[in-house]
Amino acid sequence: MNSTNKLVEEIRQRFEIIDVIHPDDQQVILDIDKMHLHTLLSHLKADGFRQLSLLSAVDWIKDNIFELVYIVFNWDTGVHVLARVKLPRDNPRFRTITPIYPGAQYYERDVHEFFGIEFEGNPMSYKPLFLELWDEMPPMRKDFDPEAYSREKFPERVYVPHFVPKVEVIE
Amino acid sequence: MTTNAKDVRKTWEKIADYFRAHSIWMKWYCTGCGAIEMPPTMTSRFDMERLGMGPMATPRQADVLLITGYLSAKTLRRVIYSYEQMQDPKYVVGFGSCTLNGGIYFDSYATMTRLDHYLPVDLYIAGCMPRPEAIMNSFDTLIKMIEKGEAKGWKHYQENHEWYRRNQLHSLKEVYVKDEFHE
Repeated sequence: MNSTNKLVEEIRQRFEIIDVIHPDDQQVILDIDKMHLHTLLSHLKADGFRQLSLLSAVDWIKDNIFELVYIVFNWDTGVHVLARVKLPRDNPRFRTITPIYPGAQYYERDVHEFFGIEFEGNPMSYKPLFLELWDEMPPMRKDFDPEAYSREKFPERVYVPHFVPKVEVIE
Repeated sequence: MTTNAKDVRKTWEKIADYFRAHSIWMKWYCTGCGAIEMPPTMTSRFDMERLGMGPMATPRQADVLLITGYLSAKTLRRVIYSYEQMQDPKYVVGFGSCTLNGGIYFDSYATMTRLDHYLPVDLYIAGCMPRPEAIMNSFDTLIKMIEKGEAKGWKHYQENHEWYRRNQLHSLKEVYVKDEFHE
């Protein structure tokens, strides 16, 4: 029993929720099908969740899945709701949420740049945000090798050893 | 020790170097965490001004470019811009292990591993991060180097400009700052 039970019951009646997790008294995690995410977020925004705190992605490379994470916050009750949707990993696309939360503009640019997820209906999200003149695969994908990229792009300092101790192994 | 003809300073250059060494304006480029060691160095605890050094707001009037910490690909582009705006003679001080060999993020896709590949570094301060005592000590060394005419990184940059430019272009593709907020 906690303060978010009423909220969860209300959402369960309206939407098909795959799973609900309560990590904390004031926090709810909702796993939801990607068809229902936009209606869920509109409902939550009308319900007082005015702030989009975070939009990010997780790369589950073994399951061949991208997971999009939306965190919304209610300033009146102090409740966080985290909604998660799953996308296929090859050719990942999703509809934008900028009509609901205009502040998602920069988050969507960020996710597009670092994970390569395309947001339909948000032409701004194709512009680069942090990386300048990037030509490789998006760097936050798990199959990107940052060390090999660094080796190739940014030469390392080579140290010449001045003294190499000779050790005899006595058996 | 061999001395080339171009290494011998004329009398007026010796006098100029003496005055250069004792009135240094410093531009500190706060790229990383090392910038936090600068306030105690500049203010009353360690008091940088007793060496005749002062902070300068713009690169065009500064003599020393102090790179405090990590350089990402994006910041390196701005640092090269700032360095080329500075007037000769100019000196570069690399600060912390991250400018030396990449520090703990040597394998990151976004950070440089060595600064002297792109800019002529006169002096490195080792440490992660160097304490203000180390910074004061290095400033003292830098003053002596300028006075003796040993800090010749800016001449090296002019003479080997092609090499530096090739390295910059290899890592950054183009050294041109695009900024969507100011275009």
